[in-house]
Amino acid sequence: MENKKLTQAQMDTKWTELGDFFRRKSIWMLMYCTGCCAIELPQAMTSAYDMERLGMGPMATPRQADVLLITGYLSLKTLRRLVYTYEQMSEPKYVVAFGPCVINGGIYHDSHAVLNRLDHYLPIDVYISGCMPNPESVMNGFTDLMDLIKNKTAVGWKNYRDNNEWYKKNQMDALGEVFVHDEFHE
Amino acid sequence: MFSIELVVLSTLLAGVLAYIVSIKLPKLGSYLTILASLAVFSVLAYFGFNNNLDAEVNLIPQFVLFKTSMFGLYFAIIVSFIFFMVSFFNPYFIKDYKYPAAYNLFYLMALAGTIGVFFASNFITLFIFFEIVVWTSMFLIPLGKKRKPTVTYFVFSTVGSFAMLYAVMFTFSITGSFDLAAISVLSGKSALLVYILLAVAGFAKLGAYPFYVWLPKVLGKSPDPVSAVFSGGIEKLGAFIAFMAILRISPASIYLEAVGMYLQNYVIAIFGAITIVVGTLQAIRQDDAKKLLAYSSASNGGYILVAIAMSSSISLTGAMYHILAHALASTAAFLAIAVVHYRTKTTKISELGGMIHHMPLTYMVYLMAIISMAGIPPMGGFISKWLIFQAVINKQMIIVAVATFFGSIGSFLYVFRPLAALFLGQKLPKYKGVKEAPFLMMIPLIILTLGSFYIGVIPNQVIDFSNKVIAEFGFGPLLMNEFGIQGANGTLSAPIIASVFGLGVVVIAIIFFILPKSRKVGLMDTYTSGEFIYTEELLHYSADFYAPFERLYPAKPLISKVYAMIKEKVNELGRFFKYWFFTNKPEVTVLWIVLILTLLVWGDIL
Amino acid sequence: MSVILMSMLIGLGVALFGFTLQTTIGGINRKVVGRMQKRYGPKWYQEFLDIFKALSKRAISHGWIYDFGVIMAVGGITATAMFMPITDSLVAFAGYDNFFIFVYLLAVGMLGMAMSASGSGNPLASIGVMRALTQMLAYEVPFMVVVITIIKVSGTSSLTGIMEFQQANGWFALSLPIGFGVAFLSLLGMLGKKPFETYIAPSEIASGPMVEYGGKQLGLLFVMHEIATFIEVSLFVHLFLGGASNIIEFLAKYFIVYTVANLISNLNGRFKIDQVVVFFYKWPLALAVLQAIWVLWR
Repeated sequence: MENKKLTQAQMDTKWTELGDFFRRKSIWMLMYCTGCCAIELPQAMTSAYDMERLGMGPMATPRQADVLLITGYLSLKTLRRLVYTYEQMSEPKYVVAFGPCVINGGIYHDSHAVLNRLDHYLPIDVYISGCMPNPESVMNGFTDLMDLIKNKTAVGWKNYRDNNEWYKKNQMDALGEVFVHDEFHE
Repeated sequence: MFSIELVVLSTLLAGVLAYIVSIKLPKLGSYLTILASLAVFSVLAYFGFNNNLDAEVNLIPQFVLFKTSMFGLYFAIIVSFIFFMVSFFNPYFIKDYKYPAAYNLFYLMALAGTIGVFFASNFITLFIFFEIVVWTSMFLIPLGKKRKPTVTYFVFSTVGSFAMLYAVMFTFSITGSFDLAAISVLSGKSALLVYILLAVAGFAKLGAYPFYVWLPKVLGKSPDPVSAVFSGGIEKLGAFIAFMAILRISPASIYLEAVGMYLQNYVIAIFGAITIVVGTLQAIRQDDAKKLLAYSSASNGGYILVAIAMSSSISLTGAMYHILAHALASTAAFLAIAVVHYRTKTTKISELGGMIHHMPLTYMVYLMAIISMAGIPPMGGFISKWLIFQAVINKQMIIVAVATFFGSIGSFLYVFRPLAALFLGQKLPKYKGVKEAPFLMMIPLIILTLGSFYIGVIPNQVIDFSNKVIAEFGFGPLLMNEFGIQGANGTLSAPIIASVFGLGVVVIAIIFFILPKSRKVGLMDTYTSGEFIYTEELLHYSADFYAPFERLYPAKPLISKVYAMIKEKVNELGRFFKYWFFTNKPEVTVLWIVLILTLLVWGDIL
Repeated sequence: MSVILMSMLIGLGVALFGFTLQTTIGGINRKVVGRMQKRYGPKWYQEFLDIFKALSKRAISHGWIYDFGVIMAVGGITATAMFMPITDSLVAFAGYDNFFIFVYLLAVGMLGMAMSASGSGNPLASIGVMRALTQMLAYEVPFMVVVITIIKVSGTSSLTGIMEFQQANGWFALSLPIGFGVAFLSLLGMLGKKPFETYIAPSEIASGPMVEYGGKQLGLLFVMHEIATFIEVSLFVHLFLGGASNIIEFLAKYFIVYTVANLISNLNGRFKIDQVVVFFYKWPLALAVLQAIWVLWR
């Protein structure tokens, strides 16, 4: 028995492991309805597919949420807000991305306003395919996320922390300034 | 043995001394006020508790007569304590006054006056000292550099003073005695008249409906220590007079079966209820923290009136308890706001924010004070409100009960407003570097808070004392056992409530600290729906706090229209006299000359 | 002294029981609502999972008042629950279960939460607190008027006393039907059920006072909410439905009251806050006063 006190990081890991047991059956989501895939969420949530039976539910603010849903294409303006929102979430936090637009820009791949690869800017744990994804695949994506949490492989938030400089550099390159310093700008 | 006259005289003398000293050294003079009020308080408390106060010594001419009574002593100890506590603030505010020397003099004279009133044994003494309080406190108000509130205060005090003078003279004309006990002899119509007149005097001083208008004006605009003294101390004179009028005089009138009390008492209770409701509604919409507390004082005065009017052991104990609890809590709240005013130069809630980060101790004091004012355990205000509710339910006064409950829940609303917007919320950059209250200011704040807490946890001593007081009015004592107070329909155990609350907090605190440690973030790192906001003022919700609720009732109390009409009439009358008698217009002068000449020449014929 | 220590332990047990009970029934009710909406609904222990997950999560803190307020809130509510009788014989502090303790000690918890929320510096939280306090002013007055009628009729303000009175003389739900209706409306307001959930309003002010909470603070506030619900529903059961002489009876009555409130909630939209005030001060207050006058002044 070691007499040494646990460091803060070790304590956090212990609590996270304990929390994962509950977390995979109770995921609170924050819906960032950036694009058209958001239209698939109501079906997944209501009577037909009933997301609540998996223990999932919508939450109002990033502070309360565990998972950030990015539903569709991502414009430059949106990314700023997305990064801001993501950084306000408490760890552990996961990101689920909908549709092809977040992978390679999808049908907007040549638009000047749309970013093509989201995983350069934020760590993605689960992609859900389909343009737009069926409610079935949405539900499937969420069960995948739960499995990842169970297998301790949903480590996007750790990657973001460890490779923060790389993510920040990418964000800066794309946006110039992530946090716009004038509230009436744009 | 210590003579009351000596206390009063030496206080007056100390006032003169403080005046002379302050002409050259105002700050030293204000320290003298601390010492003098400490001496007064400790002498009254020490000799009073040991039943050693002497009223026989006659240093002042015969017509000034004192007597000792538990009733007077209770008030005198509270009020002198409040004066003592507030005097710690004098050194810091003295330099802002135009006449610092006068301030110190009047402060101590007002103290002497209140003590004189509480120990007076005849009406002449009572009236003289009452007027001393009125006049000295009147000169304290304009030192806050506003003249108008003084006029308002003077007008309302005059109403009270004249009502009292008339009552005194009327009693004398019937009974031939100025003794305080004489009013109990009155009967029939004359008793009713004296009852009403004394009630008016009490109402005017307590700031009850319809005379509450002066409270927010005076307390909002006068210097901070003066506001605190008014709310905790001088206002209680009104309760004293009301006590005397309502309990000593019993004019025969209709007995209301449903509520088990006489009509005139019921009317007083209704007035108290109106005071509670109007005070609460107006307090909710105030933007100035001092005005808000002033309206809350009016509303709490309403509780005292309701309790006195019910005239039972429980209700009178409730009234006595409420006087003490409110004096402690309200003074603490006013002083906490005074600290904020002293440090930031404003009391407007909408201009302030995040003061807790600069002055955490002041915040805690204000928090405890409002817990007591809102009647939440484990503070003193809870016990008094519980007693008053017991009495209200026991007397089944439904309409009054609606008002008391409304005032009680409404007080959460208005006391929370400064807490949320002034102390909490965003840390505004314009108050960067604002410091905590100076050490000397901390002393009264902490003592008042501890006192408020003590009487909320262990009510036994206060209730013992107030049992002796109400015994003087012929009411039986309130029963107590080891842990609880026996009310009309239940027992209350303050120590158990406090310890259970403590236990709950400790258990949760342990759980809280076992759970993973939180990450500290700044106040500006807050949920804004993804919008970038860097200006603290934009994220601070403080103006029009209760806007949706305020929309539901008129901004100005209806009675102020009546006062505006009266003011208009008085102005008209003044203009009339000014036009006809004090004018430089030639036509009027010619008219007077012609009239006088006419009288001189043909006067004998006419 | 040992009597008091024993009472305190029983009291903590009552608080824990209340938490477990309400969390379970809350979970079952989520299932009930799910079935009502033709859904499968979550597991019955879903609420436990949610709370424990939140408690284990590493959260943010906005300074000491933010944490202190949460502790004060949950501590105050726990203390309130410790006084609550479960049946007419199972009560931690026999003789001290005064009605007013519940009303005012509950307010400590509310004040703590309000303080903590305002201390987070988020304007939405302050708006939520403002609405919560205004709503409290609305529902509390009619409720209190009904309760003073009950206290005066039964001659005691002790909850066990009121229970025993009802077991001898019939339920107040039957003898004071108007008051029962008024109090049920007030109960909806207390619980923050739907016509009166203005102060939470997730889509409008981002869940009001809770806007900044996550992790253990949010978990503790959920605990507080569950215990507060337990207190409010039990109060209603004890005041109007004759309390309970055994624990099964209590559970049955509790379940029925909470489920009915929840079902009504799910059929309604949301009032604006000034509509809430006007609503409660119009008919419920007038009816409560009329009933009090009819019963007491007759």
